[in-house]
Amino acid sequence: MTSTSVASRARTNLPQDVALVDLLDRLLGTGVVLAGDVVVSLAGVDLVRIRLQALLMTVRGSEEEL
Amino acid sequence: MADRTGRYLYAIGRGIDEEEIAGTPGLRAAPLRVVEHRGLAAVVSDVDLDEFGEGGLRRNLEDLQWLEDVARTHDAVVRAATAFGPTAPLRLATVCFDDDQVRSRMDQWHAPLVRALDRVDGRVEFSVKAYAAQPEPAGQAAPAATGPGAGAAYLQRRKEETLRREMAGQDAARDAEELYTVLAEHAVAGRRLQPQDPRLTRHEGTMVLNAAYLVDADEPFADTVDGAVDRWPGLQVEVNGPWPPYSFATLEEQ
Repeated sequence: MTSTSVASRARTNLPQDVALVDLLDRLLGTGVVLAGDVVVSLAGVDLVRIRLQALLMTVRGSEEEL
Repeated sequence: MADRTGRYLYAIGRGIDEEEIAGTPGLRAAPLRVVEHRGLAAVVSDVDLDEFGEGGLRRNLEDLQWLEDVARTHDAVVRAATAFGPTAPLRLATVCFDDDQVRSRMDQWHAPLVRALDRVDGRVEFSVKAYAAQPEPAGQAAPAATGPGAGAAYLQRRKEETLRREMAGQDAARDAEELYTVLAEHAVAGRRLQPQDPRLTRHEGTMVLNAAYLVDADEPFADTVDGAVDRWPGLQVEVNGPWPPYSFATLEEQ
């Protein structure tokens, strides 16, 4: 597998093809942060991310066992 | 009785037409609305605070299916908003109690929002990820299982293997740095995000670069990446985009 073919194959702009992990990188890690009225006290992004990572790993892990 | 409906904010932009964006469904199929204020347009929809209030979010953010549904809807709305002009996407799950509170945020952050929109106007984001190609396994010469020196030879091989892996890791990190810098010459701005955990990417290699670039919309950036990657045979490179400018519409502190 050459790097070029990876680059070509992975190129996409269809939202449904976007990996959830890439989306969450951006929706949780970046973007405009305005404090809304509903403040999840874990709005601390880091905490959310840590929990998500644990969650995602759990899900992926169970898929692999199937 | 408190109103149990909140306003979910997807994005703030310019010139977003409420009738035209209505073709895109909001969360839970709620119709999108546009709150205009001082030349800015916020895309919102009503959400049930049982689901999107503090307690609901705390519970639901741990539900992967819920999270994925919300993230994909949010992304689809942001992408629809970018069709009208520069757009600053909001972070997932920004919820206000009513339109007045939305306008109040637009007041409070007006100048930084205007600067952010100016920065991303006519530009898109690309993601570039690089993985260290898997190092070739060392020669599997059958070890002498017994006899004098077998243990020492084994330890020596282990030591060499560790050293080789460390050097491969350093090479990959240096290659990733070069790749990041070379691509940045074709971009308006670049930013390095935290590498993703291999258990999430399901990629066999180690991610050594997780970068975002802001590029002019007419820049053939993916082609540039394709053309450049051969210089670093030790890297496997993925380019993805265009994205809305998630990583570059950030607000600096006032």
